[in-house]
Amino acid sequence: MIEILQQIVNGVAIGGVYVLIALGLTTVFGILGIAHFAHGSVSMFGGYLTFFLVTSWGFPLLLAILVALIVGFVLGMLIELLAYRPVRNANHINAFIVALGLTMMVEGLNLQFFGHEQVVIPTNLSRVFDIGGVTIPELRLYVIIAAALLIIAMTLFVEKTKTGQAIRAVAENRDAAILMGVNVKTIPLVVFAISTALGVCAGVMVGSLFAIAPGIGEWLVVKGFAVLILGGLGSIPGAIVGGLVLGVTEALAAGFISSAYKDVIAFVVMIAVLLLRPQGLMGKA
Amino acid sequence: MKLRVSHILYAAALVGFILLPQLITVKYYLHLSVLALVWVIAAQGQNLIQGYTGYVSIVQAGFMGIGAYSTTLMGLHFGLPVWLTILLAPFVTALFALFAGYPSLRVKGHYFAIVTLAFNLVIFIVLMHATDLTQGEAGISGIPKPGREGGWLDFANREVYYYFVLIIAVAMTALAALIVRSRIGQTLIAIRQNETLVGAIGIAAWKYKLFAFVTSAMYAGLAGALYAHYQSFINPEIFGLAQSLDAILAVIIGGSGTILGPVIGAFVVVFLPEYLRFADSFRLILYGLLLVLATIFMPRGIVGVVGQLWARMAGKATR
Repeated sequence: MIEILQQIVNGVAIGGVYVLIALGLTTVFGILGIAHFAHGSVSMFGGYLTFFLVTSWGFPLLLAILVALIVGFVLGMLIELLAYRPVRNANHINAFIVALGLTMMVEGLNLQFFGHEQVVIPTNLSRVFDIGGVTIPELRLYVIIAAALLIIAMTLFVEKTKTGQAIRAVAENRDAAILMGVNVKTIPLVVFAISTALGVCAGVMVGSLFAIAPGIGEWLVVKGFAVLILGGLGSIPGAIVGGLVLGVTEALAAGFISSAYKDVIAFVVMIAVLLLRPQGLMGKA
Repeated sequence: MKLRVSHILYAAALVGFILLPQLITVKYYLHLSVLALVWVIAAQGQNLIQGYTGYVSIVQAGFMGIGAYSTTLMGLHFGLPVWLTILLAPFVTALFALFAGYPSLRVKGHYFAIVTLAFNLVIFIVLMHATDLTQGEAGISGIPKPGREGGWLDFANREVYYYFVLIIAVAMTALAALIVRSRIGQTLIAIRQNETLVGAIGIAAWKYKLFAFVTSAMYAGLAGALYAHYQSFINPEIFGLAQSLDAILAVIIGGSGTILGPVIGAFVVVFLPEYLRFADSFRLILYGLLLVLATIFMPRGIVGVVGQLWARMAGKATR
């Protein structure tokens, strides 16, 4: 029983990271119908940047994260403006190819700036808490808390603010939103800025919990899309539920079945959900 | 008139391909040309599902892997002759594709793309970890060439293998053209244009989609088998996600939904990264940038651009 709880706690931590990635992907998809494949690599860029600021320039961790967030914000807007906007009215496969090209560019930039080495963001958080037999490393706990706060903030932003309403309006019915006076030129910029910032947070979490290395970004974005499938494309509650389900499934699979095949098991669950509920766990029929 | 021009073009391309080994002086380019021809086969398959049916599948390299490993393992464990295992490999791949196609084809658009992508990852992980069978990351080496040793054709000779793959690539391209022109192919195009309408006039679209998916997988399996016996070495690395994306790029860059597109695209995808070697570590960035620019400025691929130029020139000439 303790063992199961332990794995669930582990799963929630990685699930939180998946949720942050998936929130970015799902809002971008909801607004623009784009599978933003470069999202993982951009997120890793944020993680790398944080690592670089901390180790080479001696920034305190929180300041480094703040700088990385601001860079992510700007980078997100540039990506929308320069890469996706020109293919806005083309076939959706074209936007996907642009996303692939972008992924290569960002992966190349990461290699160019930060090299091939695997890096871990240093945090100095080494205490381990023991709650009723379940051990939680301090860092993992903070990651869970930070992820939870970010998810709540994002949900409040989308549900309660004027901009959030505009985002939902464009996602629901683009033409009607235009008629209601929503500026459909700035909304994608806002969405990309926020999504990328969330991705940067996820990148920092991956970089401190595990490690950042070439290829991790692609792995992360694939998991993000798996979450979207699980939860329903474009759905924010779906991203949250799907991310946690995927994270916990993986942790349980790794703990009790096989750590080599944990991803296979996670994908099998995804495909099973798709067969039973093609619209995803939280998607509308 | 237009038909005749395109026939001359096909003939010229064929002559070009036949003469190519005589024109190439650098051995390495001959090697790349063989690889490019293998990719032509894989890309023709990808074009059937992506270009004609409009379903973007991201598992082509995974299916190449199944073809490559099945031909190798059948030869290794059952002692079957190479030509037979190459023939059987596409059918083994087809079995897997039937299994993968059934759940994935129930969904459309991005869902389909991501589910097939997941299948590619599953294939990759299994190839990596089922070490008893595949020897994992280390891969399998010493895969035999077709033909008897000391036979009248020496398949270890690159030039011979080039012509061997060329014949198959031409045959598979012709087969793709036949499929596209048949009633089945026309139905596939109709599915791309309006799947609801296809269903409404009483055609079971799923059968046709499954046919396109399985056929495209068989193309990939054949390409993978040819690759394995050419390189004499395989490991999971070459059948990953990145290579599946290359197959998609080959179709898009060449011109999706055209017969010549995948041929041109396959050569671009194999040769362009080599030519960008001068840029060294900027290569990936440059390649990505070229892709983005190409998609924005020539969304219909090289065939589309050339076709447009041709139409413009022909228009001027008649005037």
